[in-house]
Amino acid sequence: MADLEKLRAVAKETVSRDDVKYLIGWRQGTYGFRVSPHFITEPEEADKLIFSPLCSNNLATYLTLVEKLPVPRGQEPDTRKIALMVKGCDSRAVVQQLVEQGIKRESVIIIGCPCQGVVDLAKVEEKFPAVLEQVEARWDDGKIVFKLSEGEKAVPREEVLADKCLRCRYPNPVTADTLLWEKVEAESNDEYADVGELEGKAPEERWSFWEAYFSSCIRCYSCRNVCPMCYCEDCILDRLNPTWVNRSNNISENTAFHLARAFHLAGRCIECGECERVCPVNIPLMKLNRKLTKEVREKFEYEPGTDPDSKPLQASYRPNDQENFIL
Amino acid sequence: MDNMKLAKEKVGDFLAKLGKERFRVPQETGGSSRFAPLNGESSVDFTLSNTTVPLKSLFYPQTETLYRYEVGETAMKAPGEADEMIIMGVRPCDAKALTIVDRLFSWDPKDPYYLGRREKATIIGLACQEPRVNCFCTSLGGGPASTEGLDILMTDLGESFLFQPLTEKGEKICQEAGDVLVKSEDSDVQAAEKVHKDAASKIVRKIDSEGIPEKLPQLWDSQIWKKTSEPCLGCGACTFLCPTCHCFDIQDEIEGLEGRRYRVWDSCMFKEYTLHTSGHNPRPTRRERTRNRINHKYSYFVDKFGVIACVGCGRCINLCPVNVDILNILSQVKEAL
Repeated sequence: MADLEKLRAVAKETVSRDDVKYLIGWRQGTYGFRVSPHFITEPEEADKLIFSPLCSNNLATYLTLVEKLPVPRGQEPDTRKIALMVKGCDSRAVVQQLVEQGIKRESVIIIGCPCQGVVDLAKVEEKFPAVLEQVEARWDDGKIVFKLSEGEKAVPREEVLADKCLRCRYPNPVTADTLLWEKVEAESNDEYADVGELEGKAPEERWSFWEAYFSSCIRCYSCRNVCPMCYCEDCILDRLNPTWVNRSNNISENTAFHLARAFHLAGRCIECGECERVCPVNIPLMKLNRKLTKEVREKFEYEPGTDPDSKPLQASYRPNDQENFIL
Repeated sequence: MDNMKLAKEKVGDFLAKLGKERFRVPQETGGSSRFAPLNGESSVDFTLSNTTVPLKSLFYPQTETLYRYEVGETAMKAPGEADEMIIMGVRPCDAKALTIVDRLFSWDPKDPYYLGRREKATIIGLACQEPRVNCFCTSLGGGPASTEGLDILMTDLGESFLFQPLTEKGEKICQEAGDVLVKSEDSDVQAAEKVHKDAASKIVRKIDSEGIPEKLPQLWDSQIWKKTSEPCLGCGACTFLCPTCHCFDIQDEIEGLEGRRYRVWDSCMFKEYTLHTSGHNPRPTRRERTRNRINHKYSYFVDKFGVIACVGCGRCINLCPVNVDILNILSQVKEAL
């Protein structure tokens, strides 16, 4: 069970170390069920840290999102470590970043939080609309308990947890320097039922499904920016010379953007679901990602972000890889 | 002109009488909503609260062709005239936002694209009955039944809508509708006033903007910007979906010998927004970009156009994936002043 005292004590100890620059965890948001990433440099700031079913944010993205200013001449770069709290899925992002050498192992401290699943905010806010006061939540034996002003409300976990959590096979951090509490049991399996459902449709039906979503995309790039695996310094979408993807918003360019995004994640997506969570126009991006994940898993028996000693899919060659799907 | 009333079962007749092709109404596409032409339906879902994409997209579309050309030729082909639009079901905050953006587009030079559409549009507002948790329009001179920027204010009275024409354009629409509309009773106006009052009382979040525009730039080096921008992902959700954000980029697209120059929404939260050709970026991190977003809305725009460029619609709060909350930032600003 999430032990907040332990979490805060470990955070205080970690952030007090001379070789730690800052620690990233979660804190209660400004209203309702919202949670915000919490960056701390001082031990006393650790008292605001929480871990609850509301902690959806995958903080691993901040390892690569950090904007480094040029180091002035004569100064040494700051090489202190960044400490990071991770759930199971988040830890897979860190592992994949390590495997791809996007980050260095010695530059991070991973504090593992075995996780019983986080909520889908849309499901929660539908059940409890228009809640302004800050609401805390906790796991309680198959239920999620919300502490509202009118009293505690327990809801079966199936009704409010994010879909990814209801099929989660990696609730425990796959790698960590410290594990904050005992491990939890994983869901038995993931049959990719959501992908199968789309695969079963005729191509025209699939296209009209995606056409409605892609044409409503506003290209805010929240899906790209939140993705812990989207960390190219020179992104294809930002290029102007040559302009690989035009800035104009229409079904053609939007589709090019979404396909580029999805394909660049093939064999790399760790299924944290952040892209889909953050999309302001609710595009079901995980359906695209998971189609590729499923293919990779079936064809190459490869799952990204599960083994820090593995090689990236595209950099590994096995003579016994299947060939029957190659045209 | 007198106030009128439209029975709910006659909404279809109203649309037909005025010509369906003229209407733009809130519509859901995929998983979000925006204003779009009526597509074949005879009625409109007015129960949607504020649309995901604000009304500005009708006047100032995300992508807009400025002119077309042929490579090697000197002639430029301007796009055709704007369509006439009757926009129905606009929330008062979105209409007020247009009056703010108007000041920019009618500044120097006057923008023919935006203003052409504004001139040809009639806006029928719909008073809010169920403000959302992050609505704070009442703090910025608006309200659930604010009439600024509207030609007609419509209020849901249960079985019917009260139509209160506010401008000549609004009166013209009421006349055109003829007997589809009926004259309202005094009791209807009283009922509407009660609806407006009840809705205003449901708005909980507030900000006292007194003193902010003048003093905000003094907090240039404040820790507020570092702390509040730490979780920011640098995406464009807050600005693209803001009804008053209006920054754009200009691009060319050439296919074969056919080319077009267009403008497209840009966001000050993007890294490339202020990136110089030299590689230097005067706003190198999200700290400076967050500071700019708040300063532009609450100080620079006030300096130039005399009004805060925020209407309190709450979209940037509702849709921020990491809970960067403008009211929280502003309350920290107030404390620091």
